[in-house]
Amino acid sequence: MTEEGLLDAERRRFNRFALAPSLIVLLLIAGLPAIYLIVVSFTPFQLTEPGSATDFSSPLRNYQLLPADPRFVNSLWVQLKLSAFGVAFQVLLGMLLARLLNVPSRFVEFARTFFLIPMVLPPIVVAVIWKVLYTPDISPLYYAASLLHVAMPELTSSVDFALISIIIADTWEWLPFTFLMVLAALQTIPDEFSEAALVDGANRLQIFWYVTLPFISPVLLISGMFRLIDSVKAFPLIFLLTSGGPGSLTEVTNYYAYLLAFDTNEIGYSSAVTVVMLLLVAAVSLGLVWMGKRREGFA
Amino acid sequence: MSQPSAKRASAGRHIAIAVTLVVLLLPFLWLLQMSFKTNDQILQFPPPLIFTPTLSNYASLWHSAFTDSFVNSLLSASFSTALALLLGVPAAYALSKWAGRGKHSLSFAILLTRMAPPIAFTIPFFLFYRWIGLLDTVTGLVLVYTSFNLPLVVWMMQPFFETVPASLEEAALVDGARTRTIFTKIVLPMVAPGIAATAILCFLYAWNDFFFALILTRTNARTAPVAVVNFMNYEGWEWGKIAAGGSLVMAPVLIFSLAVRRYLVSGLTAGAVKG
Repeated sequence: MTEEGLLDAERRRFNRFALAPSLIVLLLIAGLPAIYLIVVSFTPFQLTEPGSATDFSSPLRNYQLLPADPRFVNSLWVQLKLSAFGVAFQVLLGMLLARLLNVPSRFVEFARTFFLIPMVLPPIVVAVIWKVLYTPDISPLYYAASLLHVAMPELTSSVDFALISIIIADTWEWLPFTFLMVLAALQTIPDEFSEAALVDGANRLQIFWYVTLPFISPVLLISGMFRLIDSVKAFPLIFLLTSGGPGSLTEVTNYYAYLLAFDTNEIGYSSAVTVVMLLLVAAVSLGLVWMGKRREGFA
Repeated sequence: MSQPSAKRASAGRHIAIAVTLVVLLLPFLWLLQMSFKTNDQILQFPPPLIFTPTLSNYASLWHSAFTDSFVNSLLSASFSTALALLLGVPAAYALSKWAGRGKHSLSFAILLTRMAPPIAFTIPFFLFYRWIGLLDTVTGLVLVYTSFNLPLVVWMMQPFFETVPASLEEAALVDGARTRTIFTKIVLPMVAPGIAATAILCFLYAWNDFFFALILTRTNARTAPVAVVNFMNYEGWEWGKIAAGGSLVMAPVLIFSLAVRRYLVSGLTAGAVKG
Protein backbone atom coordinates (compact mmCIF):
# COMPACT_ATOMS: atom_id res chain seq x y z
CA MET A 1 0.00 0.00 0.00
CA THR A 2 1.31 3.49 -0.86
CA GLU A 3 1.83 6.13 1.77
CA GLU A 4 -1.13 8.09 0.44
CA GLY A 5 -3.35 5.04 0.67
CA LEU A 6 -2.30 4.60 4.28
CA LEU A 7 -3.17 8.21 5.01
CA ASP A 8 -6.55 7.78 3.36
CA ALA A 9 -7.26 4.70 5.41
CA GLU A 10 -6.30 6.51 8.59
CA ARG A 11 -8.52 9.42 7.61
CA ARG A 12 -11.46 7.14 6.86
CA ARG A 13 -11.06 5.41 10.19
CA PHE A 14 -11.11 8.77 11.94
CA ASN A 15 -14.26 9.77 10.04
CA ARG A 16 -15.98 6.56 11.06
CA PHE A 17 -15.08 7.12 14.71
CA ALA A 18 -16.22 10.71 14.54
CA LEU A 19 -19.56 9.95 12.88
CA ALA A 20 -20.59 6.70 14.52
CA PRO A 21 -21.53 7.98 18.01
CA SER A 22 -23.72 10.75 16.61
CA LEU A 23 -25.48 8.44 14.17
CA ILE A 24 -26.12 5.80 16.82
CA VAL A 25 -27.44 8.32 19.34
CA LEU A 26 -29.62 10.02 16.72
CA LEU A 27 -31.03 6.66 15.70
CA LEU A 28 -31.83 5.88 19.34
CA ILE A 29 -33.34 9.19 20.41
CA ALA A 30 -34.89 10.40 17.13
CA GLY A 31 -35.21 7.43 14.76
CA LEU A 32 -36.64 4.88 17.17
CA PRO A 33 -39.22 7.28 18.68
CA ALA A 34 -40.41 8.16 15.18
CA ILE A 35 -40.81 4.49 14.31
CA TYR A 36 -42.53 3.76 17.60
CA LEU A 37 -44.96 6.64 17.03
CA ILE A 38 -46.01 5.04 13.72
CA VAL A 39 -46.31 1.61 15.37
CA VAL A 40 -48.52 2.97 18.17
CA SER A 41 -50.71 4.75 15.62
CA PHE A 42 -51.78 1.29 14.37
CA THR A 43 -53.12 0.31 17.81
CA PRO A 44 -56.12 1.43 19.88
CA PHE A 45 -53.67 2.10 22.77
CA GLN A 46 -55.14 3.66 25.90
CA LEU A 47 -53.05 4.03 29.05
CA THR A 48 -55.86 2.65 31.18
CA GLU A 49 -56.09 -0.57 29.16
CA PRO A 50 -52.96 -2.66 29.36
CA GLY A 51 -52.57 -4.92 26.35
CA SER A 52 -54.09 -2.39 24.00
CA ALA A 53 -50.54 -1.23 23.14
CA THR A 54 -49.89 -4.44 21.22
CA ASP A 55 -53.34 -4.91 19.71
CA PHE A 56 -52.78 -4.86 15.94
CA SER A 57 -56.09 -6.56 15.04
CA SER A 58 -57.34 -3.62 12.97
CA PRO A 59 -54.24 -1.54 12.25
CA LEU A 60 -55.89 1.08 10.05
CA ARG A 61 -58.84 1.74 12.35
CA ASN A 62 -57.47 5.05 13.67
CA TYR A 63 -56.80 6.34 10.19
CA GLN A 64 -60.26 5.33 9.01
CA LEU A 65 -61.82 7.24 11.91
CA LEU A 66 -59.97 10.47 11.11
CA PRO A 67 -61.95 11.80 8.11
CA ALA A 68 -65.23 11.37 10.00
CA ASP A 69 -63.95 13.00 13.22
CA PRO A 70 -65.42 16.53 13.21
CA ARG A 71 -62.90 17.76 15.80
CA PHE A 72 -59.99 16.57 13.67
CA VAL A 73 -61.36 18.13 10.48
CA ASN A 74 -62.14 21.31 12.40
CA SER A 75 -58.60 21.37 13.84
CA LEU A 76 -57.14 21.29 10.34
CA TRP A 77 -59.31 24.27 9.37
CA VAL A 78 -58.32 26.21 12.46
CA GLN A 79 -54.66 25.46 11.74
CA LEU A 80 -55.10 26.59 8.14
CA LYS A 81 -56.68 29.88 9.22
CA LEU A 82 -54.10 30.51 11.92
CA SER A 83 -51.19 29.69 9.62
CA ALA A 84 -52.47 31.58 6.58
CA PHE A 85 -53.20 34.84 8.40
CA GLY A 86 -50.21 34.59 10.72
CA VAL A 87 -47.74 33.93 7.91
CA ALA A 88 -49.28 36.60 5.66
CA PHE A 89 -49.03 39.27 8.38
CA GLN A 90 -45.51 38.24 9.38
CA VAL A 91 -44.17 38.31 5.83
CA LEU A 92 -45.90 41.57 4.97
CA LEU A 93 -45.01 43.44 8.16
CA GLY A 94 -41.54 41.90 8.23
CA MET A 95 -40.94 43.22 4.73
CA LEU A 96 -42.17 46.71 5.64
CA LEU A 97 -40.00 46.76 8.75
CA ALA A 98 -36.97 45.58 6.79
CA ARG A 99 -37.51 48.34 4.21
CA LEU A 100 -37.76 50.88 7.02
CA LEU A 101 -34.53 49.73 8.63
CA ASN A 102 -32.53 49.21 5.44
CA VAL A 103 -30.46 52.37 5.81
CA PRO A 104 -26.77 52.79 6.55
CA SER A 105 -26.62 54.31 10.02
CA ARG A 106 -24.85 53.38 13.21
CA PHE A 107 -27.96 54.12 15.26
CA VAL A 108 -30.16 51.89 13.09
CA GLU A 109 -27.63 49.07 13.21
CA PHE A 110 -27.68 49.31 16.99
CA ALA A 111 -31.49 49.44 17.08
CA ARG A 112 -31.84 46.36 14.85
CA THR A 113 -30.73 44.08 17.66
CA PHE A 114 -33.60 45.23 19.86
CA PHE A 115 -36.13 44.47 17.16
CA LEU A 116 -35.19 40.80 17.59
CA ILE A 117 -36.30 40.57 21.21
CA PRO A 118 -39.82 39.12 20.68
CA MET A 119 -38.39 36.24 18.66
CA VAL A 120 -35.74 35.21 21.17
CA LEU A 121 -37.99 35.34 24.23
CA PRO A 122 -38.99 31.92 25.56
CA PRO A 123 -42.34 31.13 23.88
CA ILE A 124 -43.97 30.65 27.25
CA VAL A 125 -42.91 34.15 28.32
CA VAL A 126 -44.47 35.52 25.13
CA ALA A 127 -47.65 33.71 26.13
CA VAL A 128 -47.48 35.22 29.64
CA ILE A 129 -46.97 38.71 28.17
CA TRP A 130 -50.08 38.39 26.02
CA LYS A 131 -52.02 36.76 28.83
CA VAL A 132 -51.41 39.96 30.81
CA LEU A 133 -52.42 42.16 27.87
CA TYR A 134 -55.61 40.15 27.31
CA THR A 135 -56.69 40.09 30.97
CA PRO A 136 -59.10 43.03 31.49
CA ASP A 137 -58.24 43.62 35.20
CA ILE A 138 -54.59 44.39 34.63
CA SER A 139 -54.26 45.13 30.92
CA PRO A 140 -53.22 48.60 29.74
CA LEU A 141 -55.08 47.81 26.50
CA TYR A 142 -58.41 47.57 28.29
CA TYR A 143 -57.60 50.67 30.31
CA ALA A 144 -56.85 52.60 27.12
CA ALA A 145 -60.10 51.35 25.57
CA SER A 146 -62.08 52.48 28.62
CA LEU A 147 -60.54 55.96 28.33
CA LEU A 148 -61.85 56.08 24.78
CA HIS A 149 -65.25 54.81 26.02
CA VAL A 150 -64.91 51.65 23.96
CA ALA A 151 -66.19 48.49 25.59
CA MET A 152 -63.64 45.90 24.55
CA PRO A 153 -64.92 42.30 24.75
CA GLU A 154 -62.80 39.71 26.50
CA LEU A 155 -60.81 38.79 23.42
CA THR A 156 -59.55 35.33 24.27
CA SER A 157 -62.95 33.95 25.26
CA SER A 158 -64.87 35.69 22.51
CA VAL A 159 -66.22 33.67 19.60
CA ASP A 160 -65.25 36.39 17.15
CA PHE A 161 -61.84 37.40 18.48
CA ALA A 162 -60.23 34.33 20.09
CA LEU A 163 -58.41 33.20 16.97
CA ILE A 164 -57.50 36.78 16.08
CA SER A 165 -55.97 37.30 19.51
CA ILE A 166 -53.73 34.26 18.93
CA ILE A 167 -52.78 35.51 15.45
CA ILE A 168 -51.83 38.92 16.88
CA ALA A 169 -49.60 37.39 19.55
CA ASP A 170 -48.04 34.96 17.07
CA THR A 171 -47.35 37.77 14.61
CA TRP A 172 -45.72 39.87 17.32
CA GLU A 173 -43.50 36.94 18.28
CA TRP A 174 -42.33 35.98 14.79
CA LEU A 175 -42.26 39.26 12.92
CA PRO A 176 -38.52 39.64 13.74
CA PHE A 177 -37.75 36.40 11.92
CA THR A 178 -39.17 37.46 8.55
CA PHE A 179 -37.74 40.93 9.18
CA LEU A 180 -34.22 39.51 9.65
CA MET A 181 -34.40 37.34 6.55
CA VAL A 182 -35.80 40.06 4.30
CA LEU A 183 -33.30 42.61 5.59
CA ALA A 184 -30.41 40.26 4.75
CA ALA A 185 -31.80 39.90 1.23
CA LEU A 186 -32.35 43.64 0.79
CA GLN A 187 -28.73 44.28 1.68
CA THR A 188 -27.52 42.09 -1.18
CA ILE A 189 -29.26 44.23 -3.83
CA PRO A 190 -26.60 46.28 -5.61
CA ASP A 191 -27.36 50.01 -5.41
CA GLU A 192 -26.61 50.32 -9.13
CA PHE A 193 -29.89 48.59 -9.94
CA SER A 194 -32.17 51.15 -8.36
CA GLU A 195 -29.89 53.99 -9.45
CA ALA A 196 -30.15 52.84 -13.06
CA ALA A 197 -33.93 52.66 -12.70
CA LEU A 198 -33.95 56.17 -11.21
CA VAL A 199 -31.98 57.48 -14.16
CA ASP A 200 -34.53 55.84 -16.46
CA GLY A 201 -37.23 57.85 -14.69
CA ALA A 202 -38.82 55.15 -12.55
CA ASN A 203 -40.68 56.31 -9.43
CA ARG A 204 -40.23 54.71 -6.02
CA LEU A 205 -43.20 52.39 -6.38
CA GLN A 206 -41.96 51.18 -9.74
CA ILE A 207 -38.48 50.60 -8.35
CA PHE A 208 -39.98 48.53 -5.53
CA TRP A 209 -42.20 46.55 -7.90
CA TYR A 210 -39.72 45.89 -10.70
CA VAL A 211 -36.33 45.93 -8.94
CA THR A 212 -36.67 45.16 -5.25
CA LEU A 213 -39.54 42.69 -5.24
CA PRO A 214 -38.13 40.25 -7.82
CA PHE A 215 -34.90 40.28 -5.80
CA ILE A 216 -36.48 39.46 -2.46
CA SER A 217 -39.42 37.28 -3.56
CA PRO A 218 -37.49 33.99 -3.10
CA VAL A 219 -36.66 35.05 0.46
CA LEU A 220 -40.26 36.07 1.11
CA LEU A 221 -41.36 32.63 -0.04
CA ILE A 222 -38.72 30.76 1.97
CA SER A 223 -39.22 32.70 5.18
CA GLY A 224 -42.99 32.30 4.75
CA MET A 225 -42.61 28.55 4.42
CA PHE A 226 -40.43 28.36 7.50
CA ARG A 227 -43.10 30.20 9.42
CA LEU A 228 -45.76 27.95 7.90
CA ILE A 229 -43.96 24.86 9.20
CA ASP A 230 -43.35 26.38 12.61
CA SER A 231 -46.89 27.70 12.94
CA VAL A 232 -47.94 24.09 13.44
CA LYS A 233 -46.08 24.21 16.76
CA ALA A 234 -47.90 27.23 18.22
CA PHE A 235 -48.56 25.46 21.50
CA PRO A 236 -47.73 27.77 24.45
CA LEU A 237 -49.90 30.61 23.11
CA ILE A 238 -52.95 28.41 22.69
CA PHE A 239 -52.30 26.54 25.91
CA LEU A 240 -52.14 29.70 28.00
CA LEU A 241 -54.47 32.11 26.19
CA THR A 242 -57.47 30.08 25.04
CA SER A 243 -56.92 26.37 25.85
CA GLY A 244 -58.34 25.68 22.40
CA GLY A 245 -61.58 27.46 23.21
CA PRO A 246 -64.15 28.87 23.18
CA GLY A 247 -65.53 25.47 22.19
CA SER A 248 -62.93 24.25 19.73
CA LEU A 249 -62.56 27.53 17.86
CA THR A 250 -58.81 27.77 18.45
CA GLU A 251 -58.11 24.05 18.71
CA VAL A 252 -55.34 23.42 16.17
CA THR A 253 -54.31 19.88 15.25
CA ASN A 254 -51.26 20.00 17.50
CA TYR A 255 -53.41 20.97 20.48
CA TYR A 256 -56.04 18.35 19.65
CA ALA A 257 -53.35 15.66 19.53
CA TYR A 258 -52.07 16.90 22.93
CA LEU A 259 -55.55 16.73 24.48
CA LEU A 260 -56.15 13.26 23.05
CA ALA A 261 -52.89 11.83 24.38
CA PHE A 262 -52.50 13.57 27.72
CA ASP A 263 -56.04 14.52 28.68
CA THR A 264 -58.20 11.66 27.46
CA ASN A 265 -55.46 8.98 27.27
CA GLU A 266 -56.23 8.07 23.65
CA ILE A 267 -52.55 7.47 22.89
CA GLY A 268 -53.11 5.33 19.78
CA TYR A 269 -55.54 7.70 18.14
CA SER A 270 -53.44 10.74 19.07
CA SER A 271 -50.43 9.09 17.41
CA ALA A 272 -52.40 8.71 14.19
CA VAL A 273 -53.33 12.40 14.30
CA THR A 274 -49.67 13.25 14.90
CA VAL A 275 -48.49 11.05 12.02
CA VAL A 276 -50.85 12.84 9.62
CA MET A 277 -49.56 16.17 10.92
CA LEU A 278 -45.95 14.99 10.45
CA LEU A 279 -46.66 13.97 6.86
CA LEU A 280 -48.06 17.43 6.10
CA VAL A 281 -45.03 19.11 7.71
CA ALA A 282 -42.65 16.80 5.82
CA ALA A 283 -44.33 17.68 2.51
CA VAL A 284 -43.82 21.40 3.13
CA SER A 285 -40.23 20.77 4.29
CA LEU A 286 -39.46 18.87 1.08
CA GLY A 287 -40.71 21.83 -0.91
CA LEU A 288 -38.49 24.08 1.16
CA VAL A 289 -35.37 21.98 0.57
CA TRP A 290 -36.13 21.92 -3.14
CA MET A 291 -36.48 25.69 -3.22
CA GLY A 292 -33.34 26.18 -1.14
CA LYS A 293 -31.38 24.13 -3.67
CA ARG A 294 -32.80 26.07 -6.60
CA ARG A 295 -31.81 29.29 -4.89
CA GLU A 296 -28.26 28.09 -4.32
CA GLY A 297 -28.16 27.34 -8.02
CA PHE A 298 -29.06 30.94 -8.79
CA ALA A 299 -26.56 32.51 -6.43
CA MET B 1 -19.90 48.43 1.02
CA SER B 2 -19.95 52.02 -0.24
CA GLN B 3 -23.23 53.84 0.20
CA PRO B 4 -24.42 56.67 -2.01
CA SER B 5 -25.23 59.81 -0.08
CA ALA B 6 -28.81 59.75 -1.42
CA LYS B 7 -29.55 56.68 0.70
CA ARG B 8 -28.44 58.15 4.02
CA ALA B 9 -31.11 57.97 6.70
CA SER B 10 -33.19 61.10 7.18
CA ALA B 11 -34.24 62.43 10.58
CA GLY B 12 -37.85 61.47 9.82
CA ARG B 13 -36.86 57.89 9.24
CA HIS B 14 -34.90 57.78 12.47
CA ILE B 15 -37.97 58.96 14.36
CA ALA B 16 -40.17 56.42 12.59
CA ILE B 17 -37.74 53.64 13.51
CA ALA B 18 -37.56 54.74 17.14
CA VAL B 19 -41.36 54.92 17.45
CA THR B 20 -41.80 51.49 15.82
CA LEU B 21 -39.24 50.02 18.19
CA VAL B 22 -40.95 51.42 21.28
CA VAL B 23 -44.40 50.22 20.15
CA LEU B 24 -43.05 46.77 19.31
CA LEU B 25 -41.29 46.40 22.65
CA LEU B 26 -44.08 47.81 24.83
CA PRO B 27 -45.67 44.42 25.64
CA PHE B 28 -42.29 43.13 26.74
CA LEU B 29 -41.48 46.23 28.80
CA TRP B 30 -44.90 46.06 30.44
CA LEU B 31 -44.20 42.62 31.87
CA LEU B 32 -40.79 43.79 33.05
CA GLN B 33 -42.15 46.81 34.97
CA MET B 34 -44.94 44.63 36.42
CA SER B 35 -42.34 42.42 38.06
CA PHE B 36 -41.20 45.41 40.19
CA LYS B 37 -44.70 46.29 41.39
CA THR B 38 -46.78 45.03 44.27
CA ASN B 39 -50.02 43.26 43.39
CA ASP B 40 -51.97 46.36 44.47
CA GLN B 41 -49.97 48.56 42.14
CA ILE B 42 -50.49 46.11 39.29
CA LEU B 43 -54.27 46.33 39.70
CA GLN B 44 -54.19 50.13 39.98
CA PHE B 45 -55.44 52.21 37.05
CA PRO B 46 -54.38 54.66 35.76
CA PRO B 47 -51.06 52.85 36.12
CA PRO B 48 -48.63 54.76 38.34
CA LEU B 49 -45.86 55.87 36.00
CA ILE B 50 -43.53 56.70 38.85
CA PHE B 51 -43.42 54.13 41.61
CA THR B 52 -40.86 52.83 44.05
CA PRO B 53 -39.73 49.55 42.49
CA THR B 54 -40.00 46.63 44.86
CA LEU B 55 -37.99 43.45 44.78
CA SER B 56 -40.55 41.62 46.91
CA ASN B 57 -41.75 39.48 44.00
CA TYR B 58 -38.22 38.31 43.29
CA ALA B 59 -37.57 37.77 46.99
CA SER B 60 -40.62 35.56 47.42
CA LEU B 61 -39.56 33.53 44.36
CA TRP B 62 -36.11 33.09 45.88
CA HIS B 63 -37.67 31.49 48.95
CA SER B 64 -39.96 29.17 47.00
CA ALA B 65 -39.69 26.00 44.94
CA PHE B 66 -39.07 28.22 41.93
CA THR B 67 -35.33 28.16 42.74
CA ASP B 68 -35.31 24.37 42.28
CA SER B 69 -37.09 24.72 38.96
CA PHE B 70 -34.58 27.31 37.86
CA VAL B 71 -31.73 24.95 38.75
CA ASN B 72 -33.47 22.12 36.87
CA SER B 73 -33.68 24.33 33.79
CA LEU B 74 -29.99 25.23 34.09
CA LEU B 75 -28.94 21.61 34.57
CA SER B 76 -30.98 20.09 31.76
CA ALA B 77 -30.06 22.82 29.28
CA SER B 78 -26.33 22.71 30.17
CA PHE B 79 -25.96 18.94 30.11
CA SER B 80 -27.83 18.50 26.85
CA THR B 81 -25.67 21.24 25.32
CA ALA B 82 -22.50 19.52 26.50
CA LEU B 83 -23.65 16.12 25.26
CA ALA B 84 -24.72 17.48 21.88
CA LEU B 85 -21.36 19.26 21.42
CA LEU B 86 -19.34 16.24 22.50
CA LEU B 87 -21.06 14.00 19.97
CA GLY B 88 -21.85 16.50 17.25
CA VAL B 89 -18.63 18.50 16.81
CA PRO B 90 -16.46 15.57 15.60
CA ALA B 91 -19.32 14.38 13.40
CA ALA B 92 -19.65 17.81 11.81
CA TYR B 93 -15.90 17.87 11.14
CA ALA B 94 -16.02 14.47 9.44
CA LEU B 95 -19.04 15.55 7.37
CA SER B 96 -17.40 18.81 6.30
CA LYS B 97 -14.52 16.82 4.78
CA TRP B 98 -16.79 14.26 3.21
CA ALA B 99 -18.77 14.85 0.04
CA GLY B 100 -20.59 11.53 -0.02
CA ARG B 101 -24.02 10.88 -1.44
CA GLY B 102 -25.54 10.49 2.00
CA LYS B 103 -24.97 14.15 2.78
CA HIS B 104 -28.21 15.37 1.23
CA SER B 105 -30.43 12.78 2.87
CA LEU B 106 -28.66 13.52 6.15
CA SER B 107 -29.42 17.23 5.89
CA PHE B 108 -33.07 16.38 5.21
CA ALA B 109 -33.12 14.16 8.28
CA ILE B 110 -31.69 17.04 10.30
CA LEU B 111 -34.33 19.36 8.90
CA LEU B 112 -37.08 16.91 9.85
CA THR B 113 -35.98 16.68 13.48
CA ARG B 114 -36.21 20.46 13.66
CA MET B 115 -39.52 20.71 11.83
CA ALA B 116 -41.38 17.93 13.63
CA PRO B 117 -43.87 19.22 16.19
CA PRO B 118 -42.64 18.31 19.70
CA ILE B 119 -45.68 16.10 20.29
CA ALA B 120 -44.33 13.63 17.71
CA PHE B 121 -41.41 12.90 20.03
CA THR B 122 -43.29 13.43 23.26
CA ILE B 123 -45.65 10.46 22.90
CA PRO B 124 -42.90 7.84 22.36
CA PHE B 125 -40.64 9.41 24.99
CA PHE B 126 -43.49 9.56 27.49
CA LEU B 127 -44.33 5.89 27.01
CA PHE B 128 -40.68 4.83 27.12
CA TYR B 129 -39.86 6.93 30.20
CA ARG B 130 -42.94 5.64 31.97
CA TRP B 131 -41.68 2.15 31.34
CA ILE B 132 -38.06 2.62 32.47
CA GLY B 133 -38.80 5.21 35.17
CA LEU B 134 -37.23 8.30 33.62
CA LEU B 135 -40.37 10.43 33.96
CA ASP B 136 -39.82 13.54 36.06
CA THR B 137 -36.01 13.30 35.95
CA VAL B 138 -33.42 15.77 34.66
CA THR B 139 -31.73 12.88 32.82
CA GLY B 140 -34.90 12.32 30.86
CA LEU B 141 -35.04 15.97 29.83
CA VAL B 142 -31.35 15.95 28.84
CA LEU B 143 -31.97 13.02 26.46
CA VAL B 144 -35.01 14.67 24.85
CA TYR B 145 -33.23 17.98 24.42
CA THR B 146 -30.26 16.22 22.83
CA SER B 147 -32.61 14.83 20.17
CA PHE B 148 -32.98 18.30 18.71
CA ASN B 149 -29.66 19.83 19.83
CA LEU B 150 -27.43 17.17 18.26
CA PRO B 151 -28.78 17.74 14.71
CA LEU B 152 -28.43 21.48 15.31
CA VAL B 153 -24.73 21.10 16.25
CA VAL B 154 -24.00 18.91 13.22
CA TRP B 155 -25.66 21.47 10.97
CA MET B 156 -24.27 24.64 12.53
CA MET B 157 -20.65 23.49 12.84
CA GLN B 158 -20.04 22.37 9.24
CA PRO B 159 -19.64 25.86 7.73
CA PHE B 160 -17.17 26.75 10.49
CA PHE B 161 -15.01 23.73 9.65
CA GLU B 162 -15.16 24.61 5.97
CA THR B 163 -13.49 27.96 6.71
CA VAL B 164 -10.35 26.26 8.08
CA PRO B 165 -7.76 26.47 5.27
CA ALA B 166 -6.99 23.01 3.86
CA SER B 167 -3.32 23.97 3.52
CA LEU B 168 -2.95 24.09 7.30
CA GLU B 169 -4.17 20.53 7.68
CA GLU B 170 -2.07 19.34 4.74
CA ALA B 171 1.06 20.88 6.20
CA ALA B 172 0.46 19.01 9.45
CA LEU B 173 -0.19 15.80 7.52
CA VAL B 174 3.16 16.16 5.75
CA ASP B 175 4.79 16.54 9.16
CA GLY B 176 3.34 13.15 10.01
CA ALA B 177 0.53 14.23 12.35
CA ARG B 178 -2.47 11.93 12.67
CA THR B 179 -5.95 13.11 11.77
CA ARG B 180 -6.99 13.00 15.41
CA THR B 181 -4.09 15.24 16.42
CA ILE B 182 -4.84 17.67 13.59
CA PHE B 183 -8.47 17.81 14.70
CA THR B 184 -7.79 18.47 18.37
CA LYS B 185 -4.63 20.60 18.11
CA ILE B 186 -5.16 22.65 14.94
CA VAL B 187 -8.78 22.63 13.77
CA LEU B 188 -10.67 22.81 17.07
CA PRO B 189 -8.92 25.97 18.38
CA MET B 190 -9.67 27.68 15.07
CA VAL B 191 -13.40 27.02 15.27
CA ALA B 192 -13.71 27.93 18.96
CA PRO B 193 -15.94 30.98 18.26
CA GLY B 194 -18.25 28.75 16.21
CA ILE B 195 -18.44 26.25 19.03
CA ALA B 196 -19.31 29.03 21.45
CA ALA B 197 -22.10 30.33 19.22
CA THR B 198 -23.47 26.83 18.67
CA ALA B 199 -23.35 26.08 22.38
CA ILE B 200 -25.35 29.21 23.17
CA LEU B 201 -28.01 28.32 20.58
CA CYS B 202 -28.30 24.79 21.97
CA PHE B 203 -28.63 26.13 25.48
CA LEU B 204 -31.34 28.56 24.42
CA TYR B 205 -33.39 25.93 22.57
CA ALA B 206 -33.34 23.66 25.60
CA TRP B 207 -33.94 26.54 28.00
CA ASN B 208 -36.93 27.76 26.00
CA ASP B 209 -38.64 24.39 25.91
CA PHE B 210 -42.05 24.26 27.49
CA PHE B 211 -43.88 21.34 25.92
CA PHE B 212 -41.49 18.49 26.75
CA ALA B 213 -41.09 19.69 30.32
CA LEU B 214 -44.86 20.06 30.70
CA ILE B 215 -45.46 16.42 29.75
CA LEU B 216 -42.33 14.66 30.98
CA THR B 217 -41.94 16.27 34.41
CA ARG B 218 -44.18 16.62 37.48
CA THR B 219 -42.50 18.12 40.57
CA ASN B 220 -38.91 16.88 40.97
CA ALA B 221 -37.58 17.91 37.57
CA ARG B 222 -40.02 20.71 36.84
CA THR B 223 -38.33 23.46 34.81
CA ALA B 224 -38.70 27.22 35.24
CA PRO B 225 -41.09 27.78 32.26
CA VAL B 226 -43.52 25.19 33.65
CA ALA B 227 -43.18 26.64 37.16
CA VAL B 228 -44.18 30.10 35.91
CA VAL B 229 -47.34 28.68 34.36
CA ASN B 230 -48.14 26.85 37.57
CA PHE B 231 -48.34 30.19 39.38
CA MET B 232 -51.43 30.80 37.28
CA ASN B 233 -53.18 27.61 38.17
CA TYR B 234 -52.65 27.04 41.84
CA GLU B 235 -51.51 30.13 43.63
CA GLY B 236 -54.41 32.44 42.91
CA TRP B 237 -53.12 34.57 40.04
CA GLU B 238 -50.26 36.31 41.75
CA TRP B 239 -49.43 38.57 38.86
CA GLY B 240 -46.34 40.05 40.51
CA LYS B 241 -44.82 36.60 40.96
CA ILE B 242 -45.82 35.56 37.45
CA ALA B 243 -44.15 38.67 36.00
CA ALA B 244 -41.01 38.20 38.11
CA GLY B 245 -40.80 34.51 37.18
CA GLY B 246 -41.26 35.32 33.50
CA SER B 247 -38.58 38.01 33.72
CA LEU B 248 -36.14 35.58 35.34
CA VAL B 249 -36.81 32.98 32.66
CA MET B 250 -36.12 35.47 29.89
CA ALA B 251 -33.03 37.06 31.47
CA PRO B 252 -30.41 34.51 30.32
CA VAL B 253 -32.06 34.35 26.91
CA LEU B 254 -31.78 38.09 26.35
CA ILE B 255 -28.15 38.23 27.43
CA PHE B 256 -27.05 35.23 25.39
CA SER B 257 -29.02 35.87 22.25
CA LEU B 258 -27.68 39.37 21.88
CA ALA B 259 -24.23 37.79 21.95
CA VAL B 260 -25.04 35.41 19.08
CA ARG B 261 -27.46 37.51 17.05
CA ARG B 262 -25.35 36.93 13.91
CA TYR B 263 -26.11 33.24 14.06
CA LEU B 264 -29.74 33.39 15.12
CA VAL B 265 -31.07 32.95 11.61
CA SER B 266 -28.77 30.13 10.59
CA GLY B 267 -29.83 28.31 13.75
CA LEU B 268 -33.50 28.84 13.02
CA THR B 269 -33.28 27.80 9.39
CA ALA B 270 -31.03 24.81 10.07
CA GLY B 271 -31.30 22.15 7.41
CA ALA B 272 -32.70 24.14 4.53
CA VAL B 273 -30.76 27.34 3.96
CA LYS B 274 -27.03 27.83 4.24
CA GLY B 275 -26.25 30.21 7.11
